Amino acid sequence: MSEQKIVTVPEIATIEEIKDEIVDVKTFYLRFDNKEIDGNFKFKSGQFIMCTVFGAGEFAVSLPPSPENDRFHITVRRIGKVTNALHDLQVGDKVGIRGPFGNGFPFEEIKGKNVIYVAGGIGLIPLRSSIVHVLQHRNEFGRILLLYGSRSPQDLMYQYMLDEWQKIEGFETFITVDNGTPEWKGNVGIITTLFDKVEIPVENTVAFVCGPPVMFNAVIKELMQRGIKDDMIISTLERHMKCGVGKCQHCAIGRTLVCTDGPVYTYRQIKTLGEQI
Amino acid sequence: MYLMKKNDVKKIAKALEEKYTLYGPYVDEAFGQCFFDKVTADNVDLNASIPTNPPKHVVFPHLETIMQYKYDKTTKKADIAMVFDDTPKALFGLRSCDLTGLQCIDRFFLGQEFVDEVYRHHRSRMFIVANTCVVPFKQCFCVCTDSGPAAQEGYDLNLTNLGDSYLLEVGSEKGKAFIESFGFAKATEEHLKQKQKLVEKSITMFEDIATESKAWVSRVMNRVTTGFIKEEVWEYIGNQCIECGACSYVCPSCTCFNINDANTIAGNTERVRTWDSCSYEGYSRMAGGHNPRKPIEDRRNKRFFCKLSYSQSKKYLRPGCVGCGRCAWVCPGDIGLPNVVTYIRREIHE
Repeated sequence: MSEQKIVTVPEIATIEEIKDEIVDVKTFYLRFDNKEIDGNFKFKSGQFIMCTVFGAGEFAVSLPPSPENDRFHITVRRIGKVTNALHDLQVGDKVGIRGPFGNGFPFEEIKGKNVIYVAGGIGLIPLRSSIVHVLQHRNEFGRILLLYGSRSPQDLMYQYMLDEWQKIEGFETFITVDNGTPEWKGNVGIITTLFDKVEIPVENTVAFVCGPPVMFNAVIKELMQRGIKDDMIISTLERHMKCGVGKCQHCAIGRTLVCTDGPVYTYRQIKTLGEQI
Repeated sequence: MYLMKKNDVKKIAKALEEKYTLYGPYVDEAFGQCFFDKVTADNVDLNASIPTNPPKHVVFPHLETIMQYKYDKTTKKADIAMVFDDTPKALFGLRSCDLTGLQCIDRFFLGQEFVDEVYRHHRSRMFIVANTCVVPFKQCFCVCTDSGPAAQEGYDLNLTNLGDSYLLEVGSEKGKAFIESFGFAKATEEHLKQKQKLVEKSITMFEDIATESKAWVSRVMNRVTTGFIKEEVWEYIGNQCIECGACSYVCPSCTCFNINDANTIAGNTERVRTWDSCSYEGYSRMAGGHNPRKPIEDRRNKRFFCKLSYSQSKKYLRPGCVGCGRCAWVCPGDIGLPNVVTYIRREIHE
């Protein structure tokens, strides 16, 4: 598999479709204008790209599609100057793409293990790639669990996928919201309340955690208490990034750079870096 | 190895000026200070004190357009082009600390997984004339960081002031080809010995100016790398920082940069790369407002980690600090690198 990496000049891609997810979050389906790259853009799940919005700037964004048989897209929250400009774009507009960068999730090493995904809010976006990928190779893994929490039912990401996932046999999904609504029939409470209700496998288990720092720390505590080892807890970190190739140093955490050494770290690594998440 | 008269220095500068854009130290008449910037063969001053600024802006400008693009909103067409600057440049009279700093940047930008193409173009046609420091300046401590007072490598030509004449050493094929046509007298082993004596004498002079703490750089590197430094020390250092970013500005090996897209009146956009400093609060702040490095001491310790740790040294193949002492010179908070070494040393003692 020859890897196509766009390092300096962004490749132009067209927005084919825009899907509203939740408030301020949209999914943009992209297609590369260059026929040689379109369809050949290989990446690993967990890697990220740098996306240029012409006239506004460039931002780093995780890749939610599975590396195999999935439509190429990014899911972005409207939060800063550049993402605001991206949200204002229409179908047919162009963006620039550089990447893929970063290390990606360790797919080979976790084969045969039980997999727990713990996501909070839009933390589900970077994990989506891995979830879909693992589901595509369902028989190579043990139990697969998803523990997902968001602020309210309206803030649940990928609602249509969650419905689909809940139907998949052998994929145990547990969803909770911090603040319920009268229509909400599911669990109410922060994500750690799920840990008491779910029988979590400990032996031969790997946990993927992604979410805001407060949630991250609480979840790590729960997982460690149950006996899951720190090198079996995997997360993907976010940092202010400018170049994506280890030169601008904005994403430095301790001795590592998130863009080249990350964004995927085990909790054992995170502990030694000596910085906040 | 050649020997040349003192006023022959101008001859070399003149010849370089014809082929290259000449950069060198000069004394600004208005300020009375020495700067390193564009010069002519007439005003370049090899005897001036260490320049206030390192030469890194020659290869890594403060503000530089690295890419240009034009996006037509109606036709949805985007034209993107990288912008490179490969004009030939000559650095004349570079002090060994600054040359070492340049080598650090070289290894960082060119020697890792990704090569910085913009930097590579800047660096591709460069001629370097180094200048041995036979007398150290008051803030210097290059002997403690193994980067002086005489340049060991990385130059095309190296000059040493022997008193009544200059010793000229050739460091590359390019330097050899350039100097042959001048027909200078060949220098002998005797002259080389003379240079070594001067360098040794220069090193003894450091002992008078340098406080003993400066010699603790390697010990402190060990501490910084292993993390055996109390939080209070970083807090003490952080409390003195006013986040001006001057230390990064004058550091020969600091290369953090920011990238912004700037729209021009002509309708196109320039992707501009600017210097940045890890002491600024916005340095690690993300779009949502989350800042993993909010307290100032977290940011301060990062800078010293960058200069004084083995993990960072792996990128530079030497300590990140080159001992020029400029940070101590400009810091309003008294936390230049030598002082930080002192604070950490005190902690080790107690």
